[in-house]
Amino acid sequence: MNCSFTEKISSLIDGELSAGEAREVERHLPGCNECRQLRADFLNLRTHIAGFETSLQPEVQNRALKKILGTERRAPARRLDWSFGAPTVAFATLVIAAAIIGLLFYQSFNKSHRDAAQVAQQQKQVQPAPVPTGSAEQSKQQPQATPEPAREQQPAPGKGNDETPRRQPAKKIVREPKPGEQFAVVPAPVPVPGPIRPADSQTLTAMHFEKSETLLLAFRNVRLNEPGTAKEVSYERKRAQQLVLQNMMLRREADAAGDVQLSSLLESLEPILIDIANLPDKPDENAVLTIRQRVERKNIVPLLRVNSAAIARALD
Amino acid sequence: MASEDEEFTMLFQDFYPSLCRFLECLLGGRAPLAQDLAQESFLQLHRTAWGTMPVGEARFWLYRVARNMAINEFRKSHTRYKLFDRVVEAMRPRARNPEQEYETQERKTLVLEMLQTLPEDQRTALLLREQEQLSYREIGEVLNVSESKVKVDIFRARAALRERFNKISGLSRYAGVGNS
Repeated sequence: MNCSFTEKISSLIDGELSAGEAREVERHLPGCNECRQLRADFLNLRTHIAGFETSLQPEVQNRALKKILGTERRAPARRLDWSFGAPTVAFATLVIAAAIIGLLFYQSFNKSHRDAAQVAQQQKQVQPAPVPTGSAEQSKQQPQATPEPAREQQPAPGKGNDETPRRQPAKKIVREPKPGEQFAVVPAPVPVPGPIRPADSQTLTAMHFEKSETLLLAFRNVRLNEPGTAKEVSYERKRAQQLVLQNMMLRREADAAGDVQLSSLLESLEPILIDIANLPDKPDENAVLTIRQRVERKNIVPLLRVNSAAIARALD
Repeated sequence: MASEDEEFTMLFQDFYPSLCRFLECLLGGRAPLAQDLAQESFLQLHRTAWGTMPVGEARFWLYRVARNMAINEFRKSHTRYKLFDRVVEAMRPRARNPEQEYETQERKTLVLEMLQTLPEDQRTALLLREQEQLSYREIGEVLNVSESKVKVDIFRARAALRERFNKISGLSRYAGVGNS
């Protein structure tokens, strides 16, 4: 095959050339025996391959269909399209806006009280200066004064701590949870924004599927180097330990949401992750092979790929 | 639910025979195994993925899953299956006249033997093109490779098969490949 058009002949018979390229090849063909022969041979091959008849019998086909339809479906007819009504979106927006405003207000309120507390402390540090002058007067006044005024005017050195009760209202506000609670109450309806959660959960699930797929592929590629032992699998094990917890969490969420399909996929993934997570550092060859066989038998890698792609598409 | 089952049944009737043929060619003519894998692929689709993807994509999904299953089978030791397949093949009822049956069988054997000489990715790409009439883009989607790789693979597969066909004596009986 010396002609430079040979590869294009293949694309030509598949209809994969642009109109311009196809015209060019068509113009070339009458003058090139080699390409004409090639096209004829490729078309003959097509006849042979496309004419291959399957040995399938109609009764086998019907039996297979009955068997499939007879098995219980794990997946409910649930499409991954999230659509919220306008009132839901408006309510969620209001709640978020209220939460943000509340948070900002709380922060500014907190700050002003912190400043007040700082000023109070600074004043407390400055106050002891006039003490020596007032101590004589105070010794006179103390027996006469009623408890209230005495507390107000007391600059006595020994009672420097009494300054604190005077400034306490300011400090109390800072310590008291109530003002804070008021603002904390504003974001209290946080449990309400349910509509936001599913998208987050779906993203997490898609990421979890991708990570699990990567792990299972890595595990499949672990080389069994020595007759009795397998290569170190500490990385896969650590990764599986992290993923097991996430898997459990997502499965519970899926159960709670009634997503049977997701739940069943996570359910079939979980024992595999647990098995990998429980492997010793240098596991027995048979243990690795058994897990691999289970992964293959359950065909879990393509399922993870398909599902993560479906979720990603739905989120797009 | 009923309409979903109807939709699924239509998909099954349309593509189960094609999937069996594709797998049979991929597995070197092991028809019972091909039918089992095709059934398993549809079963998985029905149990897990059906309803979560557009019907148009289900076909590609099926070919992808079926191909992965076939690859798993390649890795296994399959002496047991070969023996079983031969027994099943010998027991299969034959409706045509012996001459026609013989010729068809010869042609099938030739195609299968030729296809088995190709690397798996080239063979799959060529089968999806010639039997299923998928475009290069669709084949790339099934095999998770680029269109340009599909184009090169198909060309190489055709060139290799053509060379082998030309080398085999008596090919003129089948289609005159290499005679003109």
